[in-house]
Amino acid sequence: MTQRRSVSRRLRRGLGIIGLIGTVLLLAAVAFFYSFTFTHLDPQAAMMRAIKEMMEHVALPLIVLLVPVTIMVLRVIRQAFVPLAEAAAEIEAARGHERGFRIDASQMPAEAVPFTEAVNDLLTRLDESAMRQEAFAADVAHELRTPLALLSLELDRLDHDDAVRLKTDVAAMRRLIDQLMLLAQIDADAAAQIAPEPTSLADVASDVVGAIAPGIIAEGKMISLDTDEPAPIVNVRREAVAAALRNLIENATRVTPTGGTIQVRVGPGAILAVRDEGPGLTPDRLRDLVQRHRRADHASKTGAGLGLAIVERIMAAHGGRLTTDPATRELALRFPEP
Amino acid sequence: MRLLVVEDNDRMAALIADGLQRRGFVCDVALNLAQADDAMAGAQYDAIVLDLGLPDGDGIDWLAGRRKYHQMPPAIIQTARGALEDRITGLDAGADDYVVKPVEVDELAARIRALLRRPGVRTQPIIEVGALCFDTASRSASVANRKVDLSRREADLLELLMRRAGIVVHRDVIENALYSFNDPVTPNAVEAAISRLRRKLDEAALPDMLHTVRGVGYMLKDNPS
Repeated sequence: MTQRRSVSRRLRRGLGIIGLIGTVLLLAAVAFFYSFTFTHLDPQAAMMRAIKEMMEHVALPLIVLLVPVTIMVLRVIRQAFVPLAEAAAEIEAARGHERGFRIDASQMPAEAVPFTEAVNDLLTRLDESAMRQEAFAADVAHELRTPLALLSLELDRLDHDDAVRLKTDVAAMRRLIDQLMLLAQIDADAAAQIAPEPTSLADVASDVVGAIAPGIIAEGKMISLDTDEPAPIVNVRREAVAAALRNLIENATRVTPTGGTIQVRVGPGAILAVRDEGPGLTPDRLRDLVQRHRRADHASKTGAGLGLAIVERIMAAHGGRLTTDPATRELALRFPEP
Repeated sequence: MRLLVVEDNDRMAALIADGLQRRGFVCDVALNLAQADDAMAGAQYDAIVLDLGLPDGDGIDWLAGRRKYHQMPPAIIQTARGALEDRITGLDAGADDYVVKPVEVDELAARIRALLRRPGVRTQPIIEVGALCFDTASRSASVANRKVDLSRREADLLELLMRRAGIVVHRDVIENALYSFNDPVTPNAVEAAISRLRRKLDEAALPDMLHTVRGVGYMLKDNPS
């Protein structure tokens, strides 16, 4: 059976069958009784008379009854399913902030309530399971810090050429752990539904660029900030947005050659954009990168793919988007206009 | 330069103290807050490196509590906590800076040096960044005992940048520090002062020390040679 079973279709078919059987039975009964009543007429006339009687007293009432019943029933059914369609639209609209989402059962017909509640229970269990996973990841990241710190400090004592290389590896691990902790923090904040505050994107950008610039200058690269006046004010979680911008700048720094400049731009509109001197990123490639496990280059030790996935997550939590323009080699954080 | 390292993991404490000692600091170790109190009573420290979660209490609370009654040296908090809000909580509670665990000794040492350059309890009369020296008493700068001629405003600017060497000093901070309310500040007054200072540093054979982060501010940095 390829056709999905629709309630309306089944009802139409049921009503049709009832009408048909009813008609046949009534016709048979009427014919049976009329065969006594019309004995005084010749068969031809009796037949005509019988057909006329049957049209008037059987077919007509049946049609008069069945047609409105069918229309009413189909209407009731269609209306009964409206809350389901609305719930489906709500579920679709919750894309990106699934955490804590529940279907509103108050508008549901009584028959659909057990199903809705079962789905809501399932969502609760999924939330709890996700929270346990995140708490576990955060714990692991947290626990890893002490042995990693000891390792890093021991390496610092080693006066050996290999120590420098090993220190780079430890630094990469440390960076990865920081990213995991950040991810856990974003999820925890999303779960706690921490309220955003009006924040000047120009202030955030100025702080982040100022803090990150010494490292970029040490690599022989440059960074600049352009602010479009008036500086946009958006309702966001400042630290999360700062982390997103930091990740974008780190990403840009990695692909920018020595001597190059990373350009950060605020506005026009509720936008933070970072332009690099790398090859540019197509929208398809960006989509691949933000899928956490499909990393740009698996050799990357700095958590690059994870970085963009985190940016994406932060933007989704703010109702914004991470976009790319390969022509201008620019990645942008687009916030909803206040 | 005497430091107190407050850290409950004794191996970590020993390694941090060892790393800092190899970078020219004198270090004492306290494994809990009670030991830290004892150490503070017995010696004068230039800075404290403070861990947060200690067996007999929270580092931030201890710091805030002591700040009420004692003159305290600047403190750097070592935080292993989440990447976002805790850092700010620490700075609000009276810490002067923070580093995130697992810490690099080089970074920690750099932060401590930056902290000690700040105007504070035991201000040093001479600030040094690489070969560049600034005498805060005579307000004059020199490179290898050769004086660098500076105007009053350039000297103020240089001191500000030297005290925060390795850190980007934001434009508005420079404007506030250099120009009083009554001074007319032309839009590019800071740029002009910076470019004069840069030229003088170039002439003093210290090129590429003064970096511009366009749109944000300026940074003075020792060039590793």
